[in-house]
Amino acid sequence: MKRFSVLLVALMLGVSVAQAEVVVVGNPAGPDSITLDQVRDIYLNRSKALPNGQRAVPYELAEGNATRETFHEAVTGRSGAQLKAFWSQQVFTGKGQPPQEIGTEAAMKSSVASTPGSIGYIDSAQVDDSVKVILKP
Amino acid sequence: MTRTYFKLAPLALCISAAPALAQSDAERLDQLEQQVSSLQQQLTSAAADRVRLNGFFSTGYATASNDAGFAGINDESEVQDLSLMALQGTFSLSDDTQAIMQLVSRGEEDWDTELEWAYLSHQATNSLQLRAGKMRLPFFMYSDSLELGYAQPWARPPQAVYGPVTVTSYVGADATYTFNLSGSSINTQLFSGFTDESSATSGNEVEFRNTVGINTEWTDYVWKVRAVAATAEVSVDSRLLGQLFGQNSFTLADGERGNFYGLGFGYDNGTWQVVSEVTRIDVDGPFYDTDSAYLTVGRRFDNVMPYATIGWLESKDDDERAGPLSSVLDRSRDEYSLGVRWDVLSGVAVKFDYTHARGFGDEPGSNMNAGSIFAENIDSTNVYTVKIDSAF
Repeated sequence: MKRFSVLLVALMLGVSVAQAEVVVVGNPAGPDSITLDQVRDIYLNRSKALPNGQRAVPYELAEGNATRETFHEAVTGRSGAQLKAFWSQQVFTGKGQPPQEIGTEAAMKSSVASTPGSIGYIDSAQVDDSVKVILKP
Repeated sequence: MTRTYFKLAPLALCISAAPALAQSDAERLDQLEQQVSSLQQQLTSAAADRVRLNGFFSTGYATASNDAGFAGINDESEVQDLSLMALQGTFSLSDDTQAIMQLVSRGEEDWDTELEWAYLSHQATNSLQLRAGKMRLPFFMYSDSLELGYAQPWARPPQAVYGPVTVTSYVGADATYTFNLSGSSINTQLFSGFTDESSATSGNEVEFRNTVGINTEWTDYVWKVRAVAATAEVSVDSRLLGQLFGQNSFTLADGERGNFYGLGFGYDNGTWQVVSEVTRIDVDGPFYDTDSAYLTVGRRFDNVMPYATIGWLESKDDDERAGPLSSVLDRSRDEYSLGVRWDVLSGVAVKFDYTHARGFGDEPGSNMNAGSIFAENIDSTNVYTVKIDSAF
């Protein structure tokens, strides 16, 4: 019985982890939707514009954040170390600077809510009407 | 009756409103807190965004089995030969316009600081970037990160291809157009300018006038194909040849037409890395014309990447020269390297490299120790390198 309940807890934990879903959010004044390719291009310095032509201001969560890892797994397919190497090459060849890093998902949400052209990603549970969900990768 | 009603109504309102008010207060407080934290972040980031500083540092030790002087390395070499420290500043004038400078101090030049980059960059549209100032000549795949060892797989770029062009910078302007396809992109760069450099090590004066070039690169972010062509009026005054002829310097080229062609290929799927470049230099008059190529294959095992490189260099116009000119300008050799790049920490890589070069006994070229090679009848050399590259 004890073993069974441990299993049950593990299962529930497993389910709750699987339910953690990351969504791409934008400023309410920005475009209503964006494709996975367009998000990837913005986060890998290949494009600097949103689908409506507005200048994109991407935000990134700090390294080691679980939502950040889920996002990059789904969108850029790159690990933290690979991203670091990629951006140091971009910086030193004068091609660009990495997205600004933001400490928490709450701060990410309020930055996206208050910055025109901004794009970020948060756990779907954190979404409210201060930001607009533009892609569910 | 009415009086009681009026007395009770506000009371009732108060009672019913109190919890709602308390809730919206908490919500507003929450919102305000978020706004303050976001504003604070924007304030600090606004200051941080205007000026960004990055740097890179390398140090290492290299030694060779003899005095052939491959890559300037003899059998007694000093640690500071491979050391350099660079500081790069990016100053944002607006969202689209930046001033960028890079200062490099090299150990082999007594840590004298040189300004390698100083340019303005303007993002005219999402796909068009314009730059003007002092920049790297974009001849090679690794031109932009020529001294940034951390961004390279090797301990040093293959000398067969990167060695013959001693000029690395120019003053001018370029325009880069990026065309994004679904899953791949094409990048085309037009550049034009001039170079006037005197080499501290060789004492050569090199001038490129009216340099014009184009390079274009297609990549799907795993495969990469690149082509470059450039032309310039080349002037070279050689101090080494001057000494041989008993003069101050000898004019090797005086406004001669010089052309550069290159083809590059890259593959990187995260596990395997393959890089190859083929280049041709063509200069009118006695100055050397060379064909060269290299191929590097590396395989990542977690944070360790062993690599192997083969390289080849040959001057194609030996029959146009005789005497001392031939002994300094004719060049030919094969290069074989085995090495390991080990990413010790995030931002720090240690590299070990063994390079064997041979077949240069009769035609060493001016960037090796021709004197020692002829005097000691040297035809091959082994070079051992340990290097630390970091970026921050």
